[in-house]
Amino acid sequence: MKSKKKIQVFPIVNGLIFIIISLIIIVPLWKVLVDSFDLKTAYGMKLWPEEFGFTGYVTVLTNQTLYQPLIISFITTICGTIVALILSTFGAYVLIQYDMPGRNFFANMLLFTMIFNGGMIPTYLVLKSLHLTNTLWVVILFPALNVYNLVLMRNFFEGIPASLFESATLDGCSPMQTFIKIVLPMSKAALASIGLMFAVAYWNDYTHYKLYITNSDLYNFQMKLRGMIMGSDSPAVTAGVTENTIKNAAIIVVILPFMILYPFLQKYFVKGVNIGAVKE
Amino acid sequence: MKNNKKQSAAPSANNSRKHLAAKIYKYRGFYLMFLPVFVFAVIFFYLPMIGIRYAFTDYNGIKDPTFTGLANFEKMFSMPNFWSAFFNTLQISIIRLFLTVAVAVIVSIFLNEIANIHFKKVVQTIIYLPHFMSWVVTASVFSLILAPTSQGLVNSFLVQLGVVSADNMIYFLGDNKWWRFAFYLIGIWKETGWQTVIFMATLSGINTELYEAASIDGAGRWGKMRYITFPALANTILTVLILNLAKVMNLFESAFVLQNDAVLGTANVLETYIYYQTFNSGAIPNYGYTTAVGLFKSAIGCVLVLFCNWLSKKVREGRGIV
Repeated sequence: MKSKKKIQVFPIVNGLIFIIISLIIIVPLWKVLVDSFDLKTAYGMKLWPEEFGFTGYVTVLTNQTLYQPLIISFITTICGTIVALILSTFGAYVLIQYDMPGRNFFANMLLFTMIFNGGMIPTYLVLKSLHLTNTLWVVILFPALNVYNLVLMRNFFEGIPASLFESATLDGCSPMQTFIKIVLPMSKAALASIGLMFAVAYWNDYTHYKLYITNSDLYNFQMKLRGMIMGSDSPAVTAGVTENTIKNAAIIVVILPFMILYPFLQKYFVKGVNIGAVKE
Repeated sequence: MKNNKKQSAAPSANNSRKHLAAKIYKYRGFYLMFLPVFVFAVIFFYLPMIGIRYAFTDYNGIKDPTFTGLANFEKMFSMPNFWSAFFNTLQISIIRLFLTVAVAVIVSIFLNEIANIHFKKVVQTIIYLPHFMSWVVTASVFSLILAPTSQGLVNSFLVQLGVVSADNMIYFLGDNKWWRFAFYLIGIWKETGWQTVIFMATLSGINTELYEAASIDGAGRWGKMRYITFPALANTILTVLILNLAKVMNLFESAFVLQNDAVLGTANVLETYIYYQTFNSGAIPNYGYTTAVGLFKSAIGCVLVLFCNWLSKKVREGRGIV
């Protein structure tokens, strides 16, 4: 009798708990969204805009100091992801050539960087002496070699049947031809997951800009947003819009491209985690 | 493999050299493909390692470095700010790791109990979301929401409840008493959902017959959660803890974007200490000193990775983490 009652109550309580958890995630973002449309000075408890308008967004998209960082974000994300995918796939493809002389040396050379690194300051000094600081090259190229993602890619490539490689070699395919004709088509899911991981990392990059770029013309949107929130870099406030509205609109603009794509791409992200960590 | 090589080497060393040369020639295309990776690794990872020598010098980027032996390390160990950053790193990182994993495990176990597949999907989509927002965005959202003004959602709410008075609001991110509390909660908000992915993957692998057998034995919902679901997660929990323990010294961006001058006593970690000492001290940067601090940090990090790797091999049937 007692257990029957429990079974009926539990799903409801559990459901309620998860509704509350979801609200805890959503309310902060909802508040930002509301304030980005509210042209009046925001008041904390308000969860609906008082004076609705798009002026905040119009400012972000028409003010050059604001849309230029957005363009830089797009460019570095696209270029960076392409370079990063080339490096990861090339590296991973070479690492599955177990018979190749020097293969273990290459693998250990990459793995060692996961154990030990030069640290923030020596890295900064090297990049500075190579004249890479204060260029967009550094924020495109530096994060492109990610050994962890390269190893994920290798794990994926190892699942490709060896007989496919053999028959390709017998057909007279060069390594590059085999790579393009067999490896890449066989690993679309890995390319999607790992490519997305890179794209998100590039889009969200703040640390590399903070460390290596001091020229504010080269800031991406994360840097710009940070400056606005810290108050060191207030946007030009046009008539009829408060600074608070612009800040909130800027947050929404920077998360919007991802929010739109996210529901369609979620499975690839989840897959990426599962090839890495739960691999048997 | 090795034996094979030796045998072939015995008759004629010349022959095996030719064999190796032929092999290298056969793989020439692959070497070419590895070249960009090699160049990147050398420039971005190995050249900086050579720069570690600055740790033993006095170097400000203008004059040539002069060798000073261990002077930088002596200075470092005598700095109270260094020690506070060091202990802050360990405390903040490790406590946050355990809190996030604990919450993620509890959430996963209850998430696993949701019968309605659509509701479950929606919840998962929502709780994964913050993971993909940058720390800058997260910090921006929370500095607006936690602001100690009438614009801050949380403080307004607390005023409405009568917990705090309107002219004495709590500056969560600018008060040493509150900063860590806020930091942990924000960390949980951002990362718990994504942590559940790996636990849910383990849970989906549990044989349903186990639950059926337990039902027949008279186990209720709690009994099954306690004796089947939770033990199934034990291995994964250990894996996640080990993997992340190896990275605790790397704490930088999340602390950096949430801290400000008022809370450096409780919020400064080694990487942010190095950053401020080098770029924000107002004086000519002392690269030698900050490289020394970085070397100390990397050395501890290295020991942690090797320890975790050893631990991982012990408890995960020989599978290391690197």
